[in-house]
Amino acid sequence: MNKHPASQLLGLIVAASVGGLCLPALADSPNEHADGIAVYTKWCAPCHAPGIIHPGTSALGAKYQGIKSGVILEWTDLPASYVEYMVRHGMSVMPHFRKTEISDSELKALAAYLSRNTP
Amino acid sequence: MRVPPGVSAADYAKALPEFEQVVGKEWVFTSDEDLDLYRDAFSPFMGEPEELIASGAVAPITTEQVQEIVRIANRHKIPLYTISTGKNLGYGGSAPAYSGSVVLDLKRMNKIIEVNEENAFCIVEPGVSYFDLYNYIQEKKLKVWIDCPDPGWGSVIGNAMDRGGGYTQANYRNHFDSHCGMEVVLPSGELLRTGMGAIPNAKTWQQYKSGVGPWIDGIFSQSNYGIVTKMGFWLMPEPEAYLRGTIGCMNFDDLGPLVETLNYCENARITAGFPDLASPLLGYSPVGQLQLFFESGAHITPEHAKLLATVRDGRSPALEAYGRAQGIPYWQVWLSFHGPMEVIEAQWHAAIRHFAKIKGSTAQLVDKTALPIDPADASKFHEPELGVPALRAFSIGARSPYNPTPSKGHMWFSPIIPRTGEAIIEANKVFSAAARELDMPLFRTFTLPACFWERAFVFILATPVTTDPATNRKYREGFKKLIAIGGDHGWGEYRTAPVFQETVMNVYSYNNHALHRFHETLKDAIDPNGILSAGRYHIWPKHLRGKKS
Repeated sequence: MNKHPASQLLGLIVAASVGGLCLPALADSPNEHADGIAVYTKWCAPCHAPGIIHPGTSALGAKYQGIKSGVILEWTDLPASYVEYMVRHGMSVMPHFRKTEISDSELKALAAYLSRNTP
Repeated sequence: MRVPPGVSAADYAKALPEFEQVVGKEWVFTSDEDLDLYRDAFSPFMGEPEELIASGAVAPITTEQVQEIVRIANRHKIPLYTISTGKNLGYGGSAPAYSGSVVLDLKRMNKIIEVNEENAFCIVEPGVSYFDLYNYIQEKKLKVWIDCPDPGWGSVIGNAMDRGGGYTQANYRNHFDSHCGMEVVLPSGELLRTGMGAIPNAKTWQQYKSGVGPWIDGIFSQSNYGIVTKMGFWLMPEPEAYLRGTIGCMNFDDLGPLVETLNYCENARITAGFPDLASPLLGYSPVGQLQLFFESGAHITPEHAKLLATVRDGRSPALEAYGRAQGIPYWQVWLSFHGPMEVIEAQWHAAIRHFAKIKGSTAQLVDKTALPIDPADASKFHEPELGVPALRAFSIGARSPYNPTPSKGHMWFSPIIPRTGEAIIEANKVFSAAARELDMPLFRTFTLPACFWERAFVFILATPVTTDPATNRKYREGFKKLIAIGGDHGWGEYRTAPVFQETVMNVYSYNNHALHRFHETLKDAIDPNGILSAGRYHIWPKHLRGKKS
């Protein structure tokens, strides 16, 4: 498991954002994944940010039983194509997302961001 | 290419470019791949031919575009089905009630028209989610609270139109009741504003609900008479402080007096926050803490677990004796208060005085905090009780260390029952016996209802959706039987998914279905071509009536 310090920090900020903080510093800073981070923050973080209070993280933690983290931001084996598939097909109680929610271009940015640590 | 039922391929082919002209090619969807995104993610028909699907989808961004689409649909008799954010999971999701309809997807209409701090109201479009509205208020540092249901990604308008509930003070928790003023596109394409909004250049659209003459707002909820494109809601001024405490009772027979006292305290406004019933002894969490069970598991000793097996319809003298010895209450109600500290402390003390009439009851202060809290601390609470949206409730059904077999979703079984202890016990007896006979995993040892609304209880029971069609079929049929059994006892659902809307509506059958016949009379008058959301809450247009039952 590759624990990326920046992603851990982002995870903490994102966890806080769900509680009401916004992300001005990140949104304003030049970042090749700024669009992907924005999609992640809006659509994924409420379920997938670090911590058991996030049902997606809790579910993936229970699924992988310590083999890998339940936090998708920390994954190093997440191809962009798999992110795109999951968003359009869902899994368990995670529904699929329509193009009026996450457009194709937003999905590409999200997939690029989530797969940034995947060789 | 899919074609809506009752429409010729030629007519549909004429309508599609007209839709594209209005919203742009990008926002008209016709491919299977795109239309599959309109399937109900929690459909109990997944993988079966009866699954409700869309033949097309159109996503406007302005009210004028909605009007144009409705006019086109009228010309070509295209059935439309309106969704707002499409996240009505457990109650039908984004799929049309009349399979093959063209979904009118309003998600792109996501403007927050106004948040007025001085008079504490907002005006929003249908695509605005609770997260959107909350974030807008936080960014602008406005001193008002929203009232949200558990999943924060739902539409503020959509939830109100389906008559959902929330968790702050009583007069905000009923989301339809807390609205003030609507803008509606009628099936003709004409635009209507309700209440004071009917006055050109209105000054009080969000301040006085009913205007003059018949107050028609209610007919647009759980129906198909119009498309709401703007709606006002009253917001709660940010309270100064929050207090939460519990009242515990040690005896099974205390449930009746506990509910009676709660009703008095709530109706007299001694308490106004979300009251939450629990049974520590029966291992039943308060509704606002159900997620803790899935996050952290149940903490019950082996002896306690063994005694739970002796419970019948909630009662067990052996368990009661164990509870008394261990100091574990049979029943508990969580009370919450929002307001100035000196006021809510006084309310809490008044509540304690009233509940003290129940012999042996105990009161315990849980939280007392000035507001606003640090947002990072919101997760220490049930976030919606502090007006903070979240998605934590999706732990229900999701895989966790305490739920190794995740579901594919759930269908909410949610009958309204009277606000008495007697009714809670009777409903448990009736529904748990039926669920056992129908082999449905609905009830654990005992279930307590939720108090979203004043004056009545609602049971909220999740019927799982699985990947096995035979199991889903069994649960669907069982669900319908439970609805009918509830009806035999005078109880009815407050809301349900399209697949059950006919069965539920049949329960509301007083005087030879006078209410449903009135719904149909309205439908014929307002939407003669039957183009809007056919079948929603079993209101079918004339040309489909009887054929879709």
